[in-house]
Amino acid sequence: MAEALAEVLLVEDSPDDAAFFVRAFEQTGLAARLRVLPDGAEALAFVFGTGRFAALQPAANPRLIVLDLKLPKVNGLEVLRRLKADPRTRRIPVVIWSSSQEARDLAESCAMGVNSYVVKPMAFDEFGRSVQMLCQYWLQFNQAPEQ
Amino acid sequence: MQAEQQLKASLKEINDLKAALDEHAIVAITDPQGKISYVNEKFCIISKYAREELLGQDHRLINSGHHSKEFMRELWTTIARGQVWKGEIKNRAKDGSLYWVDTTIVPFLNEDGKPRQYVAIRADITERKRAEEAFRESEALFSKAFRLSPDCLVISRLSDRTVIRANDALCRLWSSRPEEVVGKPSREYASWLKEEDQQEFLRNLHARGECLNYETTVRMADGRLLDFNISSRMIFFNEEACVLSVMRDVTEHKRAEAAAAQLAAIVQSSDDAIIGKNLDGVITSWNAGAEKIFGYAAPEIVGQSIRQLIPPDRQQEEVKILECIKRGDSIRHFDTIRLRKDGSAIDISITTSAIKDPAGKIIGASKVARDITERKAAEAKIRQLNVELEQRVLERTAELESFSYSVSHDLRAPVRAIGGFARILQEDHAAALAPEAQRLLGRIHDNAQKMGQLIDGLLAFSRLGRQPLNKQPVMVSALVHRALEELQPEHAGRRIKISVTELPDCQADPTLLQQVYTNLLSNAFKYSRDRNPAIIEIGSRDEKGRRVYFVKDNGAGFEMDYAHKLFGVFQRLHRADQFEGTGVGLAIVQRIIHRHGGQIWADAAPGKGAMFSFTLEPKNVYG
Repeated sequence: MAEALAEVLLVEDSPDDAAFFVRAFEQTGLAARLRVLPDGAEALAFVFGTGRFAALQPAANPRLIVLDLKLPKVNGLEVLRRLKADPRTRRIPVVIWSSSQEARDLAESCAMGVNSYVVKPMAFDEFGRSVQMLCQYWLQFNQAPEQ
Repeated sequence: MQAEQQLKASLKEINDLKAALDEHAIVAITDPQGKISYVNEKFCIISKYAREELLGQDHRLINSGHHSKEFMRELWTTIARGQVWKGEIKNRAKDGSLYWVDTTIVPFLNEDGKPRQYVAIRADITERKRAEEAFRESEALFSKAFRLSPDCLVISRLSDRTVIRANDALCRLWSSRPEEVVGKPSREYASWLKEEDQQEFLRNLHARGECLNYETTVRMADGRLLDFNISSRMIFFNEEACVLSVMRDVTEHKRAEAAAAQLAAIVQSSDDAIIGKNLDGVITSWNAGAEKIFGYAAPEIVGQSIRQLIPPDRQQEEVKILECIKRGDSIRHFDTIRLRKDGSAIDISITTSAIKDPAGKIIGASKVARDITERKAAEAKIRQLNVELEQRVLERTAELESFSYSVSHDLRAPVRAIGGFARILQEDHAAALAPEAQRLLGRIHDNAQKMGQLIDGLLAFSRLGRQPLNKQPVMVSALVHRALEELQPEHAGRRIKISVTELPDCQADPTLLQQVYTNLLSNAFKYSRDRNPAIIEIGSRDEKGRRVYFVKDNGAGFEMDYAHKLFGVFQRLHRADQFEGTGVGLAIVQRIIHRHGGQIWADAAPGKGAMFSFTLEPKNVYG
């Protein structure tokens, strides 16, 4: 079986930020697929194969999850907590991708085992660079264990 | 026979006369050289010599040495000339005691008219002499007492008040000499201010022969008005009715008395407690104010220890107060607590100072105590209001900050979107856009970016207010070197002289203090970029006991007129096309310094550079 294309999950409620992310991601030319989901509930349903993703084949297996913190329905920290609490999803690298520089957000994310915390830069150019760097890092440089 | 009988009768007569003489007088006979040839019994008794010891001896044996040589020479020349000498002589008896004799020396002459012998007839006048001497002495004494008395003494004739005698004190008062005033009417020198006083005084004097301690005012010849205490008595002097008066000038005394009475009235009427105590802490005086504040009446508390007013846990205060007083120091506005008679506590403010006697020796203390219950209550109320106000300010500030934080946070995404889409348009649709459209899109992108910076600055500033202060010992010099390293890329390739002098360690939040240095140094590099070389000094100095840290540059500086705007958020003293920036850096610096309880200020001049100085600790309230 041909190896499936690596998948990156972006959980982002802002369509603008999502669009910028997608644009920057596409410019990297990485051999990966980017799936964008607009809220925490959708993200959990996708990862755990529930709800409208129950019939998804093959089952979701993202190589990287990029998670905004301020999300409708289930917020980013709660999504992180659930991912890290479950043995099936614990190993998936999760990068918090937020505007928040609040020390409390940072501390809580770390406590829950986040793999990286990146603040969304204000400036568009830097924003794009950050997206490219973090995707390249996690998909190209970081050595992930065999599934 | 008749002649013999006559002679016999004569002899008897002579013997009888001699016997009578011996009975009455002290008799001695000497030869012309003064050698004693006869003494009678009385002579022996008074001179205390036995007759055998006297006969044949020189009469000078009983000389006392009291009389002058001239006196003795005059005596001898008189009698040697055959004349009788009379006088009073002081002699010395065998035991050394002295006696006075009234003496008559009669020379008996021979046929040639020369003295054959001298007969001295004497009477003992020792007693009289002693009495006279005593009288003279007492006269001299009384005269002296009269003359030198510090009170004014005068004897004047009752009828017309002519001065008969006046003492030195009176003459001084009248500015005259004793010989000038005698014989003059006393009214030439002084007169009674009130006629009725004089009339009453004289009525008393006439009725009782004396009038004592009469106080009145006298007008002196030079116009001065003086208060006198006068005592007079009628006396007879040279068979004339006279008045002896003793006058004491009590002007000063009365003035002092009036002043003292006024002071006493002031003390008495004061609302403050005014209390006198001696060095043992025993209360010696107690005014109405003290009675009102403490509840004790003066008779209850005077003579008691001041400790009675002091709560048991504050007794040590009195020891310290007394130590202070004994040193001659005062204690001013010492706020403390004392006990009322009913045992209740009262807030008072005490001022205590030493009381000295006229010689300057400290004999006690005066204590002025003010009831500050109301003041204390007002202070407590103010404190409470302050706490409430502070609490309200904190709440409002927190509300405001969380509001401004969420607003700026929520602004980020749309601002980024504006800039981002402008950039996408430029990049992805360049061919479809006219050059002017391209340029305008660039402006949109730049402004969005600038707005993003402002929002980030505001967020950083706002975050600072909510972050807890983590004070700990900080090595300032290490922290400064880290900040310098961090800023290195900002000024790569420029010629800059950086000097770091003494930077003592301090208590601060290290992260925040580093932020202070990063911002100050970043400014210093930025505003000195037109200098070659730029000179940047980082150091500290002592100012009024406080450690002041500073960062100094030789850059553009600014006008001190605008210094007050320096630390405001988004306040800038330079145009953005000269020196870029958001106007948040110094606001953050000031906020960090204030959160440490310190102060920050700047000294600068346009073109002459700027120096930012700050402290990290509150002002020393004792400084």
